[in-house]
Amino acid sequence: MKYNTPTHPEPDAKLLRSAKKGNHQAFAELVRNYEDLVYSFAFKVCRNKDKASETLQDTFVNVYRKLDQFDHRSKFTTWLYSIVTNNCLMKNRRTKLDEASISIDSVPLPHESDNHHRDEVIPEWRSTPLDKVMNSELKDLLDNAIQKLPSDYRIVFILRDVEGRSAEETAKILKLTVPAVKSRLRRARVFLREQLNQYMTS
Amino acid sequence: MKNKPVKCKDVFNYICDKLDADLNSPKCRSIKKHIDDCPNCITYLDSLKKTILLYKVYPKVKAPKGSIKEIFAKLEIES
Repeated sequence: MKYNTPTHPEPDAKLLRSAKKGNHQAFAELVRNYEDLVYSFAFKVCRNKDKASETLQDTFVNVYRKLDQFDHRSKFTTWLYSIVTNNCLMKNRRTKLDEASISIDSVPLPHESDNHHRDEVIPEWRSTPLDKVMNSELKDLLDNAIQKLPSDYRIVFILRDVEGRSAEETAKILKLTVPAVKSRLRRARVFLREQLNQYMTS
Repeated sequence: MKNKPVKCKDVFNYICDKLDADLNSPKCRSIKKHIDDCPNCITYLDSLKKTILLYKVYPKVKAPKGSIKEIFAKLEIES
C-alpha cells in the first residue's frame, strides 16, 4: 500500500536571513509558506478548530520572537515542529484535554496476549475510503480513537505516520531517544488499530 | 532469528516497527517467508497499514484565511 507523505521544503537561506533581521515581508512569507503545516499538525493533535487556530497564532508569535535563536543546527521544519508541539502540549495540559485519554500501558501489544494469534483467525479489514467519501461515523471514530491516546503518544504517531517525519527527527523534536519514539509509536499503532478493528471488520 | 523458525510474535514486533520496510531485503527474508504462509500476519499487517492510511487521509485541513493578519496583530507589527 503506497501513500504520499507531505513534503515541506526548507525555506531558502536568504528569506530566513531577512526574517531574522526583522524584515516583516520576509516573516510574512515564512508564515504563508508554513501556516498550513502548522495549522494542520495542530488540528490533528487537538481535533478542534479554535484550539488549532490559537496554536497557529501562538506558534508564529514564538517563531518571530525566537527566530534569532534558530542556529541552523537542525532543519527549520524540525525547529518549527518543536515549537508547535510545545504549544499543543501546553494547550492540552491547560484545557485538560488529556483527561479523556486512557493509560496506554493497559493496551497489550499483540505478542503480549497469547491467544491473540494462536487460536483466533484475525478478520480482514474492509478497504479504506478516501476522505471525501468517508462517512461521519468513521470520522467520529477516528477522532475519538486518537483522542483517547495520551498526547505524548498521539504526537509521536502524527509526526511519524501522518506527517512522515523520521524516527530520528521525531526524537529531536520531542527530545526523546529513538528507542523511546519507536516504543511509543508501536503502542500507538496497535492501540489505534484495536479501536478501529470492530468497525473495519463489521 | 536466522536459525530459528520465525514466529508470529517475531513478525508482529517487526511489522509494528517497520511497516514501510522493504521485506525483500535479505535481512527480511525469513520474516517475508513467514508472512507469506501466515494469513493472520498478512491480515494484521494490512490492518496496521490501513489504520495509518485512514489517519493520513483524514482530516485534510488548511489554515483559516486571514491567519496572518491575526498573527501580525498579536505581534503588534505591520505587514
